[in-house]
Amino acid sequence: MEESIRQLSDQARAALEAATTEEELEAERRRFLGRKGLLREIRQGLKDLPEEDRPAVGKLINQTTRQLEALLEQRRQKLASGKAAFPEDRLDVTLPGRAPLIAGKHPLLATMEDMIEIFLGLGYLVAEGPEIEDYYHAFEALNYPEDHPAMDEQMTFYVEDDVLLRSQTSTVQIRVMEKQEPPVRVVVPGRCYRRDTVDATHCHTFYQLEGLLVDEGITFADLKGTLQAFAEGMFGPEVRVRFRPDFFPFTEPSAEFAVSCFICGGVGCRVCSGTGWLELGGAGMVDPNVLAGVGYDTERYTGFAFGVGIERFAMLRYGIKDIRVFYSGDMRVLTQF
Amino acid sequence: MRVPYGWLMEYIDTDASPEELAHVLTMGGLEVEEIEDWTSEDGQASDKVLITSVTSNRGDLLSMIGVARHAAALLDVEFTPPEMSLPATDEPIRADDDLTEGDTRVQILDLEGCPRYSALRVTGVDVGPSPEWLAHRLEAAGIRPISNVVDATNYVVWETGQPLHAFDHRLLIDGHIIVRRAEPGERMLTIDDQWRYLTPDDLVICDPKGPVALAGIMGGLDSEVRKLTKDVLLESAHFNPTLIRRTSQRLPLSTEASYRFERYVDPNLTLPALARAAQLILDSAGGEIVGPALDVRTEEFELRAITMRPDRCNAVLGTDLSGQEMEELLKRLGLEVRMQYGLSVRGVETYLGGGVPVAEEDREGAPGRPAVKLPEPDALLVTVPTHRPDLEREIDLIEEVAIVHGYDSIPMTLPRAGNAAAVLTREQKLERRVREVMRAAGVCESLSFSMMGQHDLDSIGLPEDAPERSALRLRDPVSAHEDLMRTTLLPSLFDAARDNVRQRVQDVALFEVSRVFLPAPPAEGKPSAGEEEGAQAPRGLPEERRRLGAIVMGSVMTSGWNLPAEVAEADFYWLKGLVEQLCRSLGLDEVVFERARHPSLHPGRSAQLLVSGEYAGALGEVAPEVRDAYDLQHPAYVMELDLEVLFQHAQLQAHYEPVPRMPAALRDLALVVPDDEEHDASTLTTAVEQAAGDELASVEVFDVYEDPERLGAGNKQIALRLTFRHPERTLTDDEVDALMRTITQRLERDLSARVRDW
Ligand SMILES: [Zn+2]
Repeated sequence: MEESIRQLSDQARAALEAATTEEELEAERRRFLGRKGLLREIRQGLKDLPEEDRPAVGKLINQTTRQLEALLEQRRQKLASGKAAFPEDRLDVTLPGRAPLIAGKHPLLATMEDMIEIFLGLGYLVAEGPEIEDYYHAFEALNYPEDHPAMDEQMTFYVEDDVLLRSQTSTVQIRVMEKQEPPVRVVVPGRCYRRDTVDATHCHTFYQLEGLLVDEGITFADLKGTLQAFAEGMFGPEVRVRFRPDFFPFTEPSAEFAVSCFICGGVGCRVCSGTGWLELGGAGMVDPNVLAGVGYDTERYTGFAFGVGIERFAMLRYGIKDIRVFYSGDMRVLTQF
Repeated sequence: MRVPYGWLMEYIDTDASPEELAHVLTMGGLEVEEIEDWTSEDGQASDKVLITSVTSNRGDLLSMIGVARHAAALLDVEFTPPEMSLPATDEPIRADDDLTEGDTRVQILDLEGCPRYSALRVTGVDVGPSPEWLAHRLEAAGIRPISNVVDATNYVVWETGQPLHAFDHRLLIDGHIIVRRAEPGERMLTIDDQWRYLTPDDLVICDPKGPVALAGIMGGLDSEVRKLTKDVLLESAHFNPTLIRRTSQRLPLSTEASYRFERYVDPNLTLPALARAAQLILDSAGGEIVGPALDVRTEEFELRAITMRPDRCNAVLGTDLSGQEMEELLKRLGLEVRMQYGLSVRGVETYLGGGVPVAEEDREGAPGRPAVKLPEPDALLVTVPTHRPDLEREIDLIEEVAIVHGYDSIPMTLPRAGNAAAVLTREQKLERRVREVMRAAGVCESLSFSMMGQHDLDSIGLPEDAPERSALRLRDPVSAHEDLMRTTLLPSLFDAARDNVRQRVQDVALFEVSRVFLPAPPAEGKPSAGEEEGAQAPRGLPEERRRLGAIVMGSVMTSGWNLPAEVAEADFYWLKGLVEQLCRSLGLDEVVFERARHPSLHPGRSAQLLVSGEYAGALGEVAPEVRDAYDLQHPAYVMELDLEVLFQHAQLQAHYEPVPRMPAALRDLALVVPDDEEHDASTLTTAVEQAAGDELASVEVFDVYEDPERLGAGNKQIALRLTFRHPERTLTDDEVDALMRTITQRLERDLSARVRDW
């Protein structure tokens, strides 16, 4: 019985393959698969078989039928495609396609990752640290004098006297140096907090990327060169970097750094408030007090650190005018990236 | 600070325009934020005003003189401060802490809070309006002119940076000034007509009756100079910055005076400022100085000497400056510099190796003589004036060299390469992978705030004793509904869903990878002996855990015009499928979903995820009460997974298994079982796996259906596809049939399943 089924199957395959028109194909279908077709005939023979053989043979018949139907469909399509001009086969190709959305990266995180890629290329590891910090790592180890106006700018959120939300990623500098000897070469991305009411240009939550390099023979000139390389990575080879003195307790000399406005090329426009420069962050040589605080030999090692705000970069890049967009869960916003 | 350009030009010899000056100052560490075109209210005067932003280490730049001195250094031009000395006959008299002169007595009871108090008396003044030039200058500086006497003190504050206060001498009991801490419960009325309630942390200026001024912050109303005042006592003191800052913050009350004292005012400025103010008062209000100035202090406030090594300076900056060049740069700032060779220090008459003295003028090459090339000094010995308290260490001087030299003039180099390639850590790679999987599934990446409020915890249906309720509380939140650090990502996910619905956006699929903050348990161990009972145990920092949260609602396809809703729209199984794919891509192998209760989730449609037996989070349909709380009309599905748990068991690298060589034998099995928890799909497949031998390669559910008429009420049919395979040979039909019989028998026996024929 099985043998005859297989023979029939082979015959049917050959016939279906041989059919050259849809009419011929239909004729073959009727011959093998039709209601009075050969397969049906064989199935009717099932009842003559011993009880225990029936399931196996029945299964084989089913299987053969499925395979032949599949082949039939395949042949049908093949023959039909030869005359796609027939109106009944026409698709409205202007109807929308159907697919899962492939969502984009969040603009802040995408910007941050682009920055990280540049520094990975320059040999910096990526370090992370706690968003809720103790006073020591947030201020004392960063050379903040106790009760000094320098703390005011930090606008720190406190949980307790000794527990606070970090206002800058610089806190992680200390945590990294505590764990290792120089050379240290890390960038630290992360979320920071300042007591600011939320509006279009202010937010109590923001992201920073911190950089730290400590080794023998590191100079302020190296800091300038590194940030120039970073700016070129972000904005292209035409960009210029500007440094001017600033004050941070944990670096000295300290600098604010800016890049030539990539909108106007440095001539001055609305985006750069006519100055030709876009301020991007703070930087400087790590203060010897900070290095000494983590037990480094300050005569042997020098280092630089820098911090960049991510929001400003991202706003410029995507043309976002309202900082709250970054924390929106509005699908009309999120699906744009 | 507002710096009127015309006023400033009085002290420096330059014709730099306001714009040029602003640029030079900005590039020299004093940022000019804006140049304002200013015209006086009476229209009689106009000027350009530079609005500066002073960093907190440079209190010396909070004065016209300070700005002029710095500008002159940067421009390398002459700086001419105003004449600020008392007539020679009136030499100040000095005492340690208590000094009486004529009808005036100054007594300092807190020398730590007030290391120096100078005073000068002027009598016979006529209080009236200030001369126009002075009123205009104050107006340009942003100070409202009041009267000639008060204006003179304000003018000197602006010009020198030394805060002054003028008392009506007759309103001070016995002309007796006492500087002390306030007593508990003491209060005073300040000139802004406010009662100030004081504590022993506050420093006050008193007369024998009580406080007459809040030291370094604001004067008292009772003793202020008024129209009929004839007899003025001028105060010019040096206060402890920390003390002033604490009181100013506590009240809170910030004034031009407190702002300056907090940033340290040159203690040697008290007498020159008095002289300057007295001069202006005599000019504009008449009167005469009575007796000498009183100067009460114990300290000498000497100049500080610091050594700077030129080698070190170049090593930090990456420059190639000579010691002489550094000397020039520092001298421009008004610092005194002497060269140090070996151990000896020489002044201007520097000695060359052979002991030949070289006079200062020879360095430049005096007429008729060639310039002498000096050897590199080993160090520069720099004497720092008291108006630069920020210069204490070698590095501080290095920064000054850099600033005057110009940051622009420092070269750009790249540090030598590190000796190891930088790559992301395992956790960082895994986190990126999680985010990639979510995005690829069409779930948008979002961020939300780390703060939440009590109402969030209530809205998501947490019971009173839920661990999520013990959240860290901010002492000073920006708003009352953002006073807790979040312990779960769920509230922000629900918020996002609600906001979308309000905007008529029905299809929502978003996720966030962020941290939650779980308070640290109290420190272990018994409180040590003597510790007060009930004293709060010291606590560590909270535990920060990375979580993945996601919410899905409505369609998950870009377009569903030819899909039935039940296919296009997300449901529990869509979400579960996503979690399964996520686990697969993290290389997790022991992944189990269990029916579980969660306060925010529908009791019958929620599960917990176990990874290698460890709880890793929950997923399911949002509970009806929570949906109501967030006005969600349609079913929504959420998950919150703990990435720390997933990452702990994750495998970054896949392990390849060769594809099987032997063909598989497939069999389908339809089981009719009661539709209850004892007959969950996983129970059935597990039973199949246990009954089958090693030859069972896989068992998959491919159909589930209920039909009371055909299957009987309360029953369901589950169809399973079994794949059998032997590693070395093809299984015969007989072998597979035998396995199938064993399996069906076991299912019928143990689970009262009915096997249906096809
Ligand atoms: Zn521009």
